[in-house]
Amino acid sequence: MGQLLSRRGFFSNMTDGIAGAALAWLFNRELFADASPPDGRDRPSAGRVFDLKPRRPHFEPKAKAVIHFFMNGGPSQMDLFDPKPLLDRHHGQPYLDKMAAADVQDLEDAGALMRSPFKFARRGQSGIWLSEVLPHLAGQVDELAFIRSMVTTTPDHGGACFMANSGQMFPGHPGLGSWVTYGLGSESRNLPAYVVLQDPMGVPVNGSQGWQAGYLPPLYQGTPVRSVGSPLLNLRSEVEEPRPFVKASQDLLRRLDHIHKRGRPGQPRLDARIASYELAARMQLAATDALDLSQESRKTLDRYGVGVKSRYRGRTHPIGGPDSYARRCIMARRLVERGVRFVQIYINNQIWDMHTHIENDIKAACKKTDQPVAALIHDLKQRGLLDSTLLIWNGEFGRLPIAQHADGKDAGRDHNPYAFTVWMAGGGVKPGTVYGSTDDFGYRVAENPVSVADWHATILHLLGLHHEELFFERNGLTEKLTSTHEPRIVREILA
Amino acid sequence: MLEMETGPVRKGCIGSRERRALSASALRPAAGLAVLLPILAGMTLFQAAAAATSEPVSPAPPPRFQTDLLPILRTHCLRCHNSEARLAGLDLSTEAALFQGSASGSVLVAGRPRESPLYRMVHQGLMPPDQQTAPSPSEMDILRDWVASLPVPGSREQPHASQAQLPTVSQRDVIPLMLLHCTACHGQRMQEAGLDLRSKASMLKGGKSGPAIVPGKPDESLVVQRIRAREMPPSEREVEASLRPMSARGLEQLVRWISLGAPEVSGNDRDEENGSDPLVSEEDRRFWSFQPPRATPPPLPDSSDPSRLDNPVDAFISAKLEEKGLGLAPEADRLTLIRRASFDLTGLPPEPEEVRRFLADPDPAAYEALIERLLGSPRYGERWGRHWLDLVGYSDRTHAWRYRDYVIRSLNAGKPYDRFLLEQLAGDELADLSSQAVLTREAMDNLVATGFLRMVNDVTGNRLTNFVSHRIQVISEQIQIFSSSLMGLTMGCARCHNHKFDPIPQRDYYRLAALFKGAFDEHDWLPPAITDDPNRPMLAKETRVLPFFTPMANPFRLHEESARRQSHNGRINGAIESLQAALKLKAKPVEERFINLRLAELPEELRPDLREMLDTPPEDRTPAQKELAGKYEQGLKIRFSDLEDIDPDYRRASEETAGKVKLLRARLRPEPLIRALWDRGSPSPTYILRRGDPMSPGRWVEPGVPAVLTPGHSPLAITPPWEGAQKTGRRLALARWLVGPDHPLTARVMVNRIWKHHFGRGIVSTLGNFGRTGARPTHPELLDWLALEFIRQDWSPKAMHRLIMTSATYRQSSKVTRLHERLDPENLRLSRMPLRRMDAEVLRDTLFLISDRLDQTPGGLPDPVLQRKDGLATAVPTPGGWRRSIYIAQQTSHRMGSSNPTILDTFDFPEMTPNCLERVESTVVPQALHLLNDPTVRRLADSLAGRVRREAGSDPVRQIEQAYWIVLNRPPTAEEQSVSRQALERLGKSVENAGRSEVAEQALAKFCHTLLNSAGFLYID
Repeated sequence: MGQLLSRRGFFSNMTDGIAGAALAWLFNRELFADASPPDGRDRPSAGRVFDLKPRRPHFEPKAKAVIHFFMNGGPSQMDLFDPKPLLDRHHGQPYLDKMAAADVQDLEDAGALMRSPFKFARRGQSGIWLSEVLPHLAGQVDELAFIRSMVTTTPDHGGACFMANSGQMFPGHPGLGSWVTYGLGSESRNLPAYVVLQDPMGVPVNGSQGWQAGYLPPLYQGTPVRSVGSPLLNLRSEVEEPRPFVKASQDLLRRLDHIHKRGRPGQPRLDARIASYELAARMQLAATDALDLSQESRKTLDRYGVGVKSRYRGRTHPIGGPDSYARRCIMARRLVERGVRFVQIYINNQIWDMHTHIENDIKAACKKTDQPVAALIHDLKQRGLLDSTLLIWNGEFGRLPIAQHADGKDAGRDHNPYAFTVWMAGGGVKPGTVYGSTDDFGYRVAENPVSVADWHATILHLLGLHHEELFFERNGLTEKLTSTHEPRIVREILA
Repeated sequence: MLEMETGPVRKGCIGSRERRALSASALRPAAGLAVLLPILAGMTLFQAAAAATSEPVSPAPPPRFQTDLLPILRTHCLRCHNSEARLAGLDLSTEAALFQGSASGSVLVAGRPRESPLYRMVHQGLMPPDQQTAPSPSEMDILRDWVASLPVPGSREQPHASQAQLPTVSQRDVIPLMLLHCTACHGQRMQEAGLDLRSKASMLKGGKSGPAIVPGKPDESLVVQRIRAREMPPSEREVEASLRPMSARGLEQLVRWISLGAPEVSGNDRDEENGSDPLVSEEDRRFWSFQPPRATPPPLPDSSDPSRLDNPVDAFISAKLEEKGLGLAPEADRLTLIRRASFDLTGLPPEPEEVRRFLADPDPAAYEALIERLLGSPRYGERWGRHWLDLVGYSDRTHAWRYRDYVIRSLNAGKPYDRFLLEQLAGDELADLSSQAVLTREAMDNLVATGFLRMVNDVTGNRLTNFVSHRIQVISEQIQIFSSSLMGLTMGCARCHNHKFDPIPQRDYYRLAALFKGAFDEHDWLPPAITDDPNRPMLAKETRVLPFFTPMANPFRLHEESARRQSHNGRINGAIESLQAALKLKAKPVEERFINLRLAELPEELRPDLREMLDTPPEDRTPAQKELAGKYEQGLKIRFSDLEDIDPDYRRASEETAGKVKLLRARLRPEPLIRALWDRGSPSPTYILRRGDPMSPGRWVEPGVPAVLTPGHSPLAITPPWEGAQKTGRRLALARWLVGPDHPLTARVMVNRIWKHHFGRGIVSTLGNFGRTGARPTHPELLDWLALEFIRQDWSPKAMHRLIMTSATYRQSSKVTRLHERLDPENLRLSRMPLRRMDAEVLRDTLFLISDRLDQTPGGLPDPVLQRKDGLATAVPTPGGWRRSIYIAQQTSHRMGSSNPTILDTFDFPEMTPNCLERVESTVVPQALHLLNDPTVRRLADSLAGRVRREAGSDPVRQIEQAYWIVLNRPPTAEEQSVSRQALERLGKSVENAGRSEVAEQALAKFCHTLLNSAGFLYID
């Protein structure tokens, strides 16, 4: 509050009448409303006004913002993070009889145990094993905490993606990003609180349903921001109009709304609406600035891999090179720097879904994401932001140790909900950690299983939120991200 | 360290203690947690020690129930779990009762104390709930040892003396196992090898290989042998029918049952008919909303103007206002009233002409006549149908639009609400449709109406998500919709445990589920679509859509109908083909350019050979060409996106074609099928599922309605609906009970909804929750009076509108005075009308209507929605403009670039989760951005300006006036007129200065666009 000067000084800086009043109204709320923690008495029908002003967490948070790398498709744990020497030894041996038949997509395609085509080595000071296909991440491995014992509840993409995002297998429930912005509000007045950076090459499997606010007010849903062209839908008109023309219509709108409001005292919703028009004008500038990569140095751009496009048999590879992902990683940093609470970076479709030629496809998927992700960790560290930013990397499930469809180079792996690996880094995470383990082949978790609810609770914990206390009363039900589970916070990966 | 080694049992324990501690210390967690952690660690150590000593059976003689256990139970448990109170259905006063278990099933796992709820709950400190009476460690040891001493099933030991009196495993424990793992192939629909495993009798009868069970001899029983050998269920069937192999525990249970001689028990599940329901008490029934509505005559307030209180609604409202020294606000002017009433009943504004006529009408009953006229408008059903579709969780799944049209038709016809519900809940059981030759309109409507129960997101069309757990999810969402929308009860929680706040035990949830089981049977499931794969005989040949025509239908009409459809669709398919052919022609030169570009990147010497290879069909290629192809063809293959990338003209053409094709496809006449629900006459038995887990069936239940809504015994007479019917009649019984005159909730919930849509808030503000955690009515007597009046007026919704809208309460001004702010700040007493914002659909429809672009064609297939690459989604226009939002395809999911129109989503069109009981209203920046910059809104502003010019000529004063009449349904004030005129001039100048043409047109269009952005347009007084 200190740097915001006195109330009087603040208002005296306001410019013209109506806009000033609206802004004053807005700021007034932000400055003087008590920033109470979310307390669950939040019933839409009780006439509560929802907003994005910052709210106090339940306890001292370790991280203030989140960057979420959502790796759609089911990244293969035994080819990336979870080395299985026994798979090499038993390569080619049948295993299907040890599994439940319904675990595979088609019995006819199910092959024998298959070793990873990639070599693993110990990396960094921590000596964590990592696949050779992630050379850039290897340089940052000492910052990461891996959970190798994640389990989920369903082997279908749609359901498992909903699960990973919202803790429920079905659409209609708010995702992690919505819960976090509901709980903490936003530090930015000019940008959306929860930003979704879509891949220009395509949408993820659940489309925009992945970032809906579900039964939370729509205020908390993710705002998709495009990395090319106009960043926000309808941010400006498609038709170029002369400045004075636009100004004249803005002035008219202000005067008409003023007349309307004057005849209707005691209607705060009319003030809120006027404020939203003012905010729209501010956002036009702020969003453009936040996403303007020309302000970055060449060195930074190169480090992330901006401009590196992958050619594949003479054309742009369907998965793409690091360029586009790199741009979005830099944007994520710029947004977090400006107070955005939750940034989610998606990839096109589900590039990690490798039912065939897993060897080539993993190379391509890593080519696209490895360098930018590693550069972002490095960049945040350099700027002193890593301590207050939580990075999350996950898919919706893992993959099976047996081959699918064929042998050799063309073989792939089928979905595996019983075991997968995720990692976290940054604010409050214990760097250079590995938690949990899978059985000899990576089929099922052997030690310390971590459910999606456990994982969600841990993320909330790092943000200063308690999963039981972050709830929303709906129709007599106490809705929570962790639902009715009794999750365990994975304290072993906390710093 | 220790925590890492804990098993699931202790994990649960820690979690629950942590939560309890937290809620106690409220929100000072930073400190609270720090203190908590050492405590937790200490606890863990203690429990680890306890756990280490818990398993081995002590050498001393095992404790006995009567002498050792009962005294402990008496001290700590019997206060609640005695034969009278039987909390949670559990009676611990005798050994026999203990073996019966609780409402959710057995509390014992013989020989395994830590898996037995009886011991676990006590051990974990969850029971007794009052810590002061916790058993001592030595008492805990006795409890543990007693459970440990119970003989493990299948062991050679003598049965426990007391167990001999009572079979702890009966057919009711075994049949759920058969349903889960076996009856898909050996049951109702299929009897592979002639075997049916649904009852003891049919197991004894057996199949081709002989009897399935030999009582007393599990090892000789075929069913045990096959399961043990993992031959059953066969793995290909597991894959195909989404089955899981039987668990070791399940097999143990089966073996135990057979070794006990396959005992059977009979009788019903109803304690309450013997006089005492342990789970729901008379006290529970006394809660206001579980009591039938009580008739209270309207009060007689001492008002200065009694003529305004003729309407009983006003009497009730005024009485409450007078308590505070307030009275009804003055009546709003006619301009306000006609705008308010039109939006309320039709979702559209009045035309300027209608407003002028209403203003000039000298008849004192002009307002009443207006309401009549609006009630008679076909637009009424489109508006109020939308309210209903929210409740239903409507989206445009296959064939669902017929249900949408049925709803609109029914509302427009003024169908009584009780009949409306009967049709939707049990339309298939109202009459014998299978014997009718051709379905009449009415019969068809009855079937279409059951679409009410076919609306939730159903993932069971995919094998990976067609397990029993997924089916149960579908059923549970449908039950949630049923109970929250029609009864204002939240029953979802009772699927896993007794309701925490309302007297709805888990038992009652499953009784209700049993009422739906004739159609919704998770063990006999109709898939969303048919597969004709002959290798997959398991997948039913039946699906969940019904033809219009019954087997008795006249073949000529069938043929005629199908021929008409074929010729219609043939024309459309022809048009699609020619569009695509035209695009292909356009693609030719672009393809050529593309190939050349690609070839140019390859070594020059290869190019002629490559060219030749490409021109040769694959089967005619030489080995050398084949090698070339293997190496380079991948890179030379053309995808549409490549062509679009190199040629913007082609991209435009391609996108245009795609749009046209989508539009044409949407006009293909669908197969004459009805999305319906129908009873199949042979439901499987229903069990309480512990924790909602289908793998943990508990006690068996019979169909029934929530006990708290009954006088203590089941009021349902369930009989087949007609003689010889292949229907259970269960849903029909449910529907008849629901619309019975004494039902405490049905009428109240509906009149409350009608009230809400007129006044912005319900008398009970939680529309979907009339339970303990819901809000209490602000005007309880009025609510009851309205509910009874609704029934008295034959459940006529239109009568309710008439009653409410002609009241002085409804006609009040919306102006907020200082007195209001002081005495009724939240408007709970309705001291004025609330100011309301247009709903998403009202806004969209109104934008189209006033700019002359609304196509008012009703019904039929929904119009498709197209989404641009940047995410902007709009409905595809028809030749006449755009249709009302209710006729636009409502997305079933936001998958892969499909979406609801952006304007609807932006203005709070709800997610169906699984339905929407009440919309929320937000004020967010994207709304402003949309109305300011969306290209469609801008085009509509242009069109609106055209209309204004047509109707008002070129004089700016008249233009402004007419624009006000069209957009705001009133003339401008002098101030508005002058502000607008100045603005028009300024706009014109800036156009002129920019050197553009059509100065006046552009200025007027911008003026209209600004009016569409104004608060006066969006808000209704």
